[in-house]
Amino acid sequence: MKLLDMTRKYGNATYNYPFEPYKVPEGFRGKPAYDYEKCIGCTACAVACPSNAINVKLNEDKSKLVWEFNCARCIFCGRCDEVCPTNAVLLSDEFEMAVRFDKDNLKERGELDVECCQKCKNPFTTSKLISYDIERLKKAGWDEATLAEKTKYIRTCPECKKNIAVENSTQYFVRKRK
Amino acid sequence: MSKTYVVPEEIASANSLEAKLEHLKNIKGSFNVYRVDCGSCNGCEIEIFAAITPMWDPERFGFKLVASPRHADILLCSGPVTRQMYYPLLRAYEATPDPKVVVAIGACGSSGGIFHDAYSVWGGIDKIIPVDVYIPGCPPHPATIIHGLATALGILDQKLELKEHKNGSNESPEIKTSVFNNILFERDVLAEAKQLMGYLYGRKLFDKYIKAVKESPNIKDTVQTKITMERLSREEEDPRYRECMKVIHNNVYLNHIKQFKEIDIADRIDLSD
Repeated sequence: MKLLDMTRKYGNATYNYPFEPYKVPEGFRGKPAYDYEKCIGCTACAVACPSNAINVKLNEDKSKLVWEFNCARCIFCGRCDEVCPTNAVLLSDEFEMAVRFDKDNLKERGELDVECCQKCKNPFTTSKLISYDIERLKKAGWDEATLAEKTKYIRTCPECKKNIAVENSTQYFVRKRK
Repeated sequence: MSKTYVVPEEIASANSLEAKLEHLKNIKGSFNVYRVDCGSCNGCEIEIFAAITPMWDPERFGFKLVASPRHADILLCSGPVTRQMYYPLLRAYEATPDPKVVVAIGACGSSGGIFHDAYSVWGGIDKIIPVDVYIPGCPPHPATIIHGLATALGILDQKLELKEHKNGSNESPEIKTSVFNNILFERDVLAEAKQLMGYLYGRKLFDKYIKAVKESPNIKDTVQTKITMERLSREEEDPRYRECMKVIHNNVYLNHIKQFKEIDIADRIDLSD
């Protein structure tokens, strides 16, 4: 009886979790929540992810860029949250993550349209990333004329940009030798 | 690595879904859990022991940790299955009376986690024995473990499902207008804030700082902005934000203002007070 009195004095320490919701503390690192509308497919999260839980790859016929998150591999370090430029990946409060039998239920996928290079017609980035770039350059104080002049290479892939630069410089050298 | 262990016929037939459901009906209110550590880092073990404390009290549902697999109904396996732990895991699996429920706990147990492509591990419990419930997390929160074990028994339902997003628009996501009409200022403030206070508090610091700058009567006037910033940082309760707001002002704001006009040493906020 003495023990019961003490219990009444100090209250009940046990969380009544499955029967009432458990409120996680502030700053809890739960399942990364993916906002498809905000994702631009820049692959910063895939580069930052230490356990390769986030993979960003072209699909088989190279028509879409697929962002795939595998929660079974995630170690909840929050690096994707840290590097995401548009806050499309944010660690949420979700902690009820157990699944039965099928591990695929832990996955999350998002498909983004790819942009093909103007010169070699190979896919190199997403259309959304390019529109995001242009939008940001506008907000950085560039007017339409500067934008048109300076962003002519924005739809060319890095490989073609390199080739163009090499072609231009060799022309210069050949002329000089003559 | 390829799968080498084939579950023997009699174990496979005794572990069908119907047999397991029948077994769960028979043992209601008392579930004995045996914990197998297959090369885990002990993070998951600490969380399992946190989950069986009076704070969470899984004995409300009848969970009890036992010392021998021969007493167990549920096998709780953690770790990425190192080569040394391959046979001990199989011995524990075969020693457990049929029908048994296998729960893979932690990122390593569910898929190999950060060791998924390491040479000396098998990469997940499901590469070797059939797994019924996966509990991801590195390590999982005690509440996640309670939810996972309750899911294994059918008390709770799983919350996650395969999500696929398709056919989104190609429009750029919304970008907030800059206070200087130049987004590079916000970029530098955010980078400095994250460097000072990390990604979580850095983002809050960024919001606080931009709000403070907006309150200045004239943003391009260094004297007025300095007075506003000193007043607002004095009002700030948390000393970390108080100091970091001043540091951002000195390092980023004044650096940015340099493009427009000369600045002198009096524009800097004194950090010592």
